[in-house]
Amino acid sequence: MDTAEKKWSEMTWEEKREERFKKWLNPPVNFSGEDAAKLYKERVNRFIKAIKLEEPDDRVPVILPAGNIPAYLAGGNLKTAMYDYDELRRAWIKFLIEFGPDMDTFIGPGLVLPGRVLETIDFKLEKWPGHGLADDIETYQFVEKEYIKAEEYDALIKDPSDFWLRKFLPRAAGAFKAFEKLPQLTAFIGIPVFYVGAFADPEVQAALKALVDAGIETMKWTEAVNDVNRQSLEAGLPSFWGGMSGAPFDMIGDMLRGTNAIMMDMFQRPDKLNEAMERLVPIAIDEAVAGANASGCPIIVMPLHKGTGGFMSNKQYETFYWPTFKKILLGLVNEGLVPMPFAEGNYEPRLEIIKNMPRSAVLWWFEHMDMSKAKKELGGVSCIAGNIPVTTLCTGTPEDVKEQCRRLIEDCAPGGGYILTGGATMDRGNPNNLRAVMDAAKEYGMYKK
Amino acid sequence: MNVEKKWSEMTWEEKRREKFNKWLTVPDIKFVSPEAEKLYMERVTRFARAFLLEKPDRVPCILPVSNFAAYYGSSDLRTVMYDYDELKRTWRKFLHEFGDSDMFFGPGMVPSGKMLEAVDYKLYKWPGHGISGDTTSYQCVEGEYMKANEYDALIKDPSNFWLRTYLPRVFGAFEALRNIPPFTTIEEIAIMSFVAYGRPDVRAALEALLEAGKESVKWMMAVMEVSQEATRMGFPAIMGGLSKAPFDTLGDTLRGTQGVMMDMFQRPEKLHQAMEKIASLTIDSTLASIGDSGVPLIMMPLHKGADGFMSTKQYETFYWPTFKKVIMAFVNEGIMPVLFAEGSYNTRLDIISELPRGSVTWWFDQTDMAKAKKILGDKACLVGNVPTSLLMTGTPQEVKEHCRNLIEICAPGGGYILSGGANIDKGDPDNLRAMMEAVKEYGVY
Repeated sequence: MDTAEKKWSEMTWEEKREERFKKWLNPPVNFSGEDAAKLYKERVNRFIKAIKLEEPDDRVPVILPAGNIPAYLAGGNLKTAMYDYDELRRAWIKFLIEFGPDMDTFIGPGLVLPGRVLETIDFKLEKWPGHGLADDIETYQFVEKEYIKAEEYDALIKDPSDFWLRKFLPRAAGAFKAFEKLPQLTAFIGIPVFYVGAFADPEVQAALKALVDAGIETMKWTEAVNDVNRQSLEAGLPSFWGGMSGAPFDMIGDMLRGTNAIMMDMFQRPDKLNEAMERLVPIAIDEAVAGANASGCPIIVMPLHKGTGGFMSNKQYETFYWPTFKKILLGLVNEGLVPMPFAEGNYEPRLEIIKNMPRSAVLWWFEHMDMSKAKKELGGVSCIAGNIPVTTLCTGTPEDVKEQCRRLIEDCAPGGGYILTGGATMDRGNPNNLRAVMDAAKEYGMYKK
Repeated sequence: MNVEKKWSEMTWEEKRREKFNKWLTVPDIKFVSPEAEKLYMERVTRFARAFLLEKPDRVPCILPVSNFAAYYGSSDLRTVMYDYDELKRTWRKFLHEFGDSDMFFGPGMVPSGKMLEAVDYKLYKWPGHGISGDTTSYQCVEGEYMKANEYDALIKDPSNFWLRTYLPRVFGAFEALRNIPPFTTIEEIAIMSFVAYGRPDVRAALEALLEAGKESVKWMMAVMEVSQEATRMGFPAIMGGLSKAPFDTLGDTLRGTQGVMMDMFQRPEKLHQAMEKIASLTIDSTLASIGDSGVPLIMMPLHKGADGFMSTKQYETFYWPTFKKVIMAFVNEGIMPVLFAEGSYNTRLDIISELPRGSVTWWFDQTDMAKAKKILGDKACLVGNVPTSLLMTGTPQEVKEHCRNLIEICAPGGGYILSGGANIDKGDPDNLRAMMEAVKEYGVY
């Protein structure tokens, strides 16, 4: 163990990444047949080459922009999938069977949250179909608020887990409100008689019971999700979701302070904001590493929000958003992982800044973006992914979609380093529009050898 | 809001005057008699003056007793740790039979054996649990509960380290908590995190925590019943809270003596960073714990900085800076730290004399009191230090004579409290009464 760890720490990031790629290429699974095993390797290799800015052996790889669409194609909806795990499993397996032979990766149902767990903990940060939203809504709605007050930055900076347990969780979930009453658990005195007594409080006991109930319910949900993911791997479809991370500015702006407050903080308490973001860097890296170690897939998905064009100036981006975000990117790279920032909104003004990264280390997924410009600016530095408009996917014809893909491939595919996908994912619509994406990759995305 | 603002603008002396004035106000309780109320006020006033380097009517005395009441009541530590009725009976017997004294120690330092068993606490052995049933004290079990390469984890996210690494090691019942994921997450809801709480072993750990919590409340009720009775009878409490020096926290309960001594040489920077972090958390948790006790005193038992444990230079480099930071944080809140220096502190007297005049009290175990009075006498109230050996094996006359000697050395000018160098668990109650006689006979100003 010790020698292996030592060796790991002495490796370059490229060497570490090769180790992780090897693991990704050889998942601990019994493939359903030789074909599946062969296809699996081909698919992963297609992605690996694109990430390394090389031309894949055959064609442009594709991530089908499928969000919650499996639920609808199976005749259900997001609400039924959130509450009925058998239904969840049935819908995603159906999608796997119908699209599986023709996909490069499969996004499992792990992003469909278990409704009963959210109810058990009385989760406040999201609305979902049937709970704050109409039953037939196909996605969640985030509820932004100033959950954390300006003067609470210090608590976050001093002891992040204590802050989460006793300040954030009680506000994020009604069932955990009583955690506010807990004393600081790091009692450095010796005999923990007094703080153990805090757990006799009936409200604290009820909160812990809710936690256990949520755990038991999550286990049931996990069983269904894991089952689908295992079947997908066995069928030869790799995962492209190894773990999650994000930018500290978004962690604070989305979850803790809200957009309005964090924008004010840039002016009123820039030092606290920066200090708090610094504290979140190692936390975000650790979480992503743990996720990737568990999943075996080295791709770290990083949804980005508040740094998009129009939300702040380039100067503010460089002062507040980029420094700690960059630290996380490099921290993940240094662990052999592949950060995949998903830049929601328009990231064109940031291209100049974000290209300052080691070659092939990062994979950028863009929503609204002039992809030919992105290819020009980033092409020699990062693999890029995107960005069929959701509007075309949801309302266009298969021909429209295919044509859009053709143009994207022409702009982005040359020389490698491109993954075809949507600007966002679709939850509802014509399944033939998804098929058109694959058709386009096969027809226009072939690399000539 | 107005009051708070005012508080933050006050000097530490002003804050302390407020805190002591509150302590010196007749508490809102029903005394057993007008005489008890009068005595209570006399006693609190006597202590307050001594702590503040003033002359009281006479030298006050802190009886050096810890588990003494258990044996006085023909019981033993093991019994009263498990049987709260016995705990109450013995402490009340001592309270009612001992006679005049200046204060009373409730049974709060006798931990519940049932609670310790419920959590399978590894840091202590106690009678019938690792040491023989008739032992009069518990025994701390030092170990390397935190490894040298875990300093960063402690510094980066203390509660994360505490809950997921440290607690599973020092509480057998919480071993499964090593399986819970961090609370911090970049996702608005890390749904997979909940899975851990469905695990049978984690559920069992939480059950154990709840059981221990309930047990601890039963124990606390018993302790409070006795302490409140003592107050109603006119005997004040003189301990508002408990705290520690960061170096001791690391040395006692995290790295162990050997580990922390090596760390001074092998990773001094990490040690410093960790002590800074622990200092800040210690300040928070101590101030929160004394919330409304009304007693403006915090007891700090000191261990690894004693003479012989480290050089003066090491004391100045490693022990003193964060210790001082913790002390001054309490002082700045108007609270007086009572620093109980176990072992001897003869070589530290010059260093510790730098604290502001009247800000702290030093309680010495084996320190030379004449030297202490000379160096610290006009700076800090002194407490001590009848030797435990004399209290346990000497005659009442010998004890009284020793007290006379101490009073002659330390009492002049005020700022002195007679007590033992450490507390005794067993022995002749007349030796304790001899101390009370001595202060009345020789300690009148």
